[in-house]
Amino acid sequence: MTKKNKSMIQRRLIPTYIFLIICSFISVFPLYWMFAAATNSSLNVARGSIAFGNQLMVNFDHLKAAVQGTLWTSMGNSFLYSIVQTIFTLFVCSIAGYGFELYHDKGKDKLFGILLLAMMVPAVATMVPLYGLISKANLLNSVWAFILPGISTPFMIMMFRQNSRNFPPDIMEAARIDGLPEWKIFFKMYVPIQKSIYAAAAVITFMNAWNAYMWPKVVMSDNRAQTMPMFIANISSGYTVDYGMTMLGVLFCSLPTMIVFFVLQKQFAEGITGSVK
Amino acid sequence: MKRKLLSLMLVGTMAASMVACGGASSTDNASGEGADGAATAAVQSDDENTLTVYAWDENFNIPALQAAEKDYQEVNPDFHLEIITQSQSSDVESAVTLAAEAGDYSTLPDIVLFQDHYIQQYVTNYPDAWQDVDDADCDWDGLGAEKLSYSTVNGKHYGFPVDAGTAIFAYRTDLLEEAGYTMDDVTGITWDEFDKIGVDVYNKTGKYLLCMDGDGNDLFYMMLQAEGASQFKDGEPYFTENEKLVEIFNVVVKLAQDNVLYLANDWSDYTDQAIQGDMVAGVYNGNWIIPTIEQVKDNAGKWEITTAPTLTGAEGYASNGGSSLYITANCKKTDLAKDFLAYTFGGRSAEDGQSITYDEALTNGGVIGTCAAAAESDVYQQGVEFFNDQPIYADIVEYTQHVPTVEQSDYHYSAREQLATALQDVLTNGEDVEAALANAEQQLRFEMELD
Amino acid sequence: MEKKKKGMTLANKQLAAGWLFLTPATILIFIMSFYPIIQAFITSLKTGKGVNMAFANPLNYNYTRMLQDNIFMTSMKNTFLYLIIQVPIMLILAILLAQLLNNKDLKFKGIFRTCIFLPCATSLVSYSLIFKSMFATQGLINSVLMKIGLISENVNWLGTPATAKAVIIIALIWRWTGYNMVFYLAGLQNIEYSVYEAAKIDGANGWETFWSITVPLLKPTIVMTAIMSINGTLQLFDESMNLTSGGPANSTITMSHYIYNQAFGKGVGALGYTSAMSFLVFILVGILAFISLKVGDTRD
Repeated sequence: MTKKNKSMIQRRLIPTYIFLIICSFISVFPLYWMFAAATNSSLNVARGSIAFGNQLMVNFDHLKAAVQGTLWTSMGNSFLYSIVQTIFTLFVCSIAGYGFELYHDKGKDKLFGILLLAMMVPAVATMVPLYGLISKANLLNSVWAFILPGISTPFMIMMFRQNSRNFPPDIMEAARIDGLPEWKIFFKMYVPIQKSIYAAAAVITFMNAWNAYMWPKVVMSDNRAQTMPMFIANISSGYTVDYGMTMLGVLFCSLPTMIVFFVLQKQFAEGITGSVK
Repeated sequence: MKRKLLSLMLVGTMAASMVACGGASSTDNASGEGADGAATAAVQSDDENTLTVYAWDENFNIPALQAAEKDYQEVNPDFHLEIITQSQSSDVESAVTLAAEAGDYSTLPDIVLFQDHYIQQYVTNYPDAWQDVDDADCDWDGLGAEKLSYSTVNGKHYGFPVDAGTAIFAYRTDLLEEAGYTMDDVTGITWDEFDKIGVDVYNKTGKYLLCMDGDGNDLFYMMLQAEGASQFKDGEPYFTENEKLVEIFNVVVKLAQDNVLYLANDWSDYTDQAIQGDMVAGVYNGNWIIPTIEQVKDNAGKWEITTAPTLTGAEGYASNGGSSLYITANCKKTDLAKDFLAYTFGGRSAEDGQSITYDEALTNGGVIGTCAAAAESDVYQQGVEFFNDQPIYADIVEYTQHVPTVEQSDYHYSAREQLATALQDVLTNGEDVEAALANAEQQLRFEMELD
Repeated sequence: MEKKKKGMTLANKQLAAGWLFLTPATILIFIMSFYPIIQAFITSLKTGKGVNMAFANPLNYNYTRMLQDNIFMTSMKNTFLYLIIQVPIMLILAILLAQLLNNKDLKFKGIFRTCIFLPCATSLVSYSLIFKSMFATQGLINSVLMKIGLISENVNWLGTPATAKAVIIIALIWRWTGYNMVFYLAGLQNIEYSVYEAAKIDGANGWETFWSITVPLLKPTIVMTAIMSINGTLQLFDESMNLTSGGPANSTITMSHYIYNQAFGKGVGALGYTSAMSFLVFILVGILAFISLKVGDTRD
């Protein structure tokens, strides 16, 4: 392999680079625009200005005062709910995926098929009955109201089940012969080697929980329990809207999910790889 | 890695719960309690002097409610009004629907702000959700008969009016002048005359003389009301047989085709692009549109308001939008709530000609009330610089007295939507007016389950 | 003898453990998904509003009403239009991008991957707001197009039915292509590089290798993403609600949005009718998911 050969390969890749650069630009540009808008006055945002402005601090002051000053509360709530949701989902769905794959028999396979049906239940259909349930359990405005419907999802169970195929049954047998109880096999043997699928599941669950809007809006009516997307909805509707402030809010709302993805992206990619085998 | 991940999560959870607790530590801590699993219906307060209210719009209704709180504290210093912001009016409606369907009203706050056009059907379908306020200590006669017609169900008062919704027609005098017209030329004219002026203005300045949110399309309702007519007759849709409606529909089609009317595609396009983006020389809507117009500081002093054109050339008076405050069935402090509302929005504090509620609602939120006594105050009477020192608030209260009461329906918004669809069909799909209106009427009948 | 007895209990223990692992997830799904959908089905047989709600006569009243409801039919057409146009474009683009990024000679892979994935980290509320402002009448897109001379006067993108639908589709593709790409990229990791080398030696060009190697080997992933996308598109709500509000005049409304409007957006909800409509969505998603699974199978 000579240098010349390498540069020839790179030259052949030029169209690929151009295409990828265009796609990356299209993907990132609206986000750049969001940053720029957050520094502009409302009027300039509405008029489509793409340059950075000098209104950042003004917008920030307005944002802090908006909705009875609940910016940080909403941010905190969103973190709390999303993290609690993620922890519960990872636990419940991973033991289920593990159970369905490694203890599988006809009965469990049938049950799995039935559970998959839940993926098709449209959210609008279940809203009223679910609200009734949560309301009767006196859980409105609590973290449970937020997370309960989303903890166990067929998609997550399926993802963990797919990944469990990598787990060699011999290890289980060996552990059993050593007299390890079943739950210890899961925690001591299974969990440590599946960390990338946990990371992938965490990224997906966290993002979904963080971005959830419809359901939280229904059950978290108190401003002190509201989430970031609700906060943004509150400031972005009304007879007159301050767009500079709103875009800054949008920025605040988007940063955590982006950071989570950045931090976990390598494990995320590995985890997904295991689940599409 | 696993340990790192886990500790990351734990730290995150702790940080989040700390932030959540910190943020709400001054009041009872809803999210913190939630995390412990001991949730309460946080929209109610145990304090006997505190009332909770659902409201929307931080720049409009909420300043009005804050003004009312301040006003009532003059007579009851311990009083506290806890305002729970909702993103839009429909959030309050869905809260009532959900509570009713779950058979548990304990999730509702003491008071809700509610859209005028919807309250009738909510009282009819969910009678247990409300408490009537017929015996409240206030002068109902001074609150505007047209406005109260919405909140009165079966002869009983249920609500207290917040904003009037009286329609104004605002013009850019500089642009009119450029085309050779004055405010007098656009006051008390027919829609045909208006169309001619509009064509001139568009040709000379490139601006539309009228704009409207094409989606909700408030135009038809306001134009009809100014004629004293309605989209309904005896509880049924009244489109194709309604000569005035047909005539008005044709006017709107012509205005749009002549580039006199700009149809925005939704609410934000209407406010941000058309009005604030300086695309128009005239705005016709409920007076709550004024703060939007005022956003463009460059145009200060160039606007003035007047009444709307009509088919006959008489001055047109109408109202659009607006909401009132209602006490829910869940309110245990009914006497306090009634007294608070009667004193503030019921106009008892305005009896001496000066009301903090109405004055500050106007100065802080641009909310113009319907209370005749409150309009005597200096705040209402003064000239407004942005509108060329015209005393627009006093003028609007004057308009309010002339708004005719027309037949209302639970399907008010559906009717508007069907008419907007018909207009779209005519303008973009080239359908003829008669067919489009017939189709709209039939659709509305379907929705009302009349056929 | 004793040993055997112990073995039995061990097997029982294993059996119990297996079921125990499934229990929390199963219970939650039954309570949070199946119980409400059964409730919704019962409600779908009722008419009237609020306190006046009662079983319909005939029982299928809401289901027959649906067929006569022009707006619902429009919403169904719109939803299927989004489905037919957006899902294939998005999936093909995602596979293509994944294929390009899987080249071992390519530099800056991580940066490209991150950029293309980033859109799906933005919340639905946020990205609807961003797109709405960009496609506003005097917004960014128009001013750019004006400057380069492609248009002579501002296009009302969200104001005419055809362009408003196009904006929704563009927004969807923008948001979800990167997400699907990650799945394909992961799927490609499982294909041995030697398979491609062999194909190259056999003289296959890039296009041929793509169709004869990549696509067949990615099939399970394609089926999975297709089901996910079909499901997501049939339940499409946020974009219709936040981007166009279903307008102009209901021409871009989706099924879920119309159902929501009937239940919460426009006065006292006709909950019986909305339940019936959502039950139909449930069945449609089921049928389409079943078809994609079958199509995935038969190509084997």
